[in-house]
Amino acid sequence: MGGVDVGGGGGGKRKSVDSDINMIPMIDLLMVTISFLLITAVWTHMSRINADAQVPGPPRPDVEQEKVEPEKQLHVMMQSEDKFVLVWKQGSTTVDQIDVPRKDVVVHAGNQDVVRFPDLAVKIESEWKAKGQHSNPTDRKLDQAILHTDNKTEFRYLIGVIDAIYQTHRDMNLGSKIEKMPAFNITFAVN
Amino acid sequence: MPVANPGRRLMRHVGLEFVAKKVAGGGHRNTNASLSLTSMIDFLVVTVVFLLMTFSASGETPQAKGLTLPKAENALDMIDAPIVAVVGSQILVDGSPAGNTRAVEESDRMQRIDELFNMLKAKRELWKQTHPNKDFPGVAMLQIDQNIKAVVVKSVFQTAAFAGFPNVSFMVDKLPNSGAH
Repeated sequence: MGGVDVGGGGGGKRKSVDSDINMIPMIDLLMVTISFLLITAVWTHMSRINADAQVPGPPRPDVEQEKVEPEKQLHVMMQSEDKFVLVWKQGSTTVDQIDVPRKDVVVHAGNQDVVRFPDLAVKIESEWKAKGQHSNPTDRKLDQAILHTDNKTEFRYLIGVIDAIYQTHRDMNLGSKIEKMPAFNITFAVN
Repeated sequence: MPVANPGRRLMRHVGLEFVAKKVAGGGHRNTNASLSLTSMIDFLVVTVVFLLMTFSASGETPQAKGLTLPKAENALDMIDAPIVAVVGSQILVDGSPAGNTRAVEESDRMQRIDELFNMLKAKRELWKQTHPNKDFPGVAMLQIDQNIKAVVVKSVFQTAAFAGFPNVSFMVDKLPNSGAH
């Protein structure tokens, strides 16, 4: 038996405030808790990267379509092996075009090689700061990035570029608090 | 039974000293080891606290066998949604076969995958029947091997969008944040 002294007590005739804890059930409880937690433990932490297909809804003939000026969109082209091309377009009009030299940084994570593009991430962030349209924290809309790739590119390179685009964050007011959110919403070019 | 003085013994000249030594410890190391209860309980409590802190109530998202997910840093937490897995050339929706990607790979053209489209559409209809007064979230989770070609990724992505799942997420392994933000 293990003893626990909870203090006090005083003297004489008062009942002792020391109490005993039976060690055997206590150790049993700890062992069972450890076993349960070990069995239910999740050691791999998966996450997700969001993308939006931007599928338009069917046209409604009863509602008159408003003429809305098209927003600027960032087209990220990764077809070339030696450079990325960032193109800001408004509708079909090209607003600006920037070449970013392609430097694949391969990081070893566990037994896997991870491809990252830090230069691209920095350039996209500076471009968004200069030309992004939705930077006000009260604006819930995100700027649109469209990824152009050839058919043979491996998925890990796509994720590397998407990760670089999502590195640009901005403040967004979500009712009670302001949180850091990705500045872009990403979709794929159809062609 | 009363205790009596021992009488003559057979082979009394054999001393049995080795038995006497064993019983009394006799200069040898004791075979019983003592364990400090305080340290043991400390260790158990620390283990319990560590496991409780790393415990995840949401459970584990099933990952298709033979699939290596790419890794990314700027990723979001998982949500509950149908999982479309692409392993080799096989497509699985929540673990059930939903066609393959051979036609897409051979033609090297982005195209709709009919079997996947029908299965996702059925899932969407079922959700609408079971949740009649709610808006369909249209979220699907793509679990794609890191070496799959972009034409397959785009075909699956577009097929999911056309089947009513325009909000697509790619499953990745989370990389620790490098501190860029």
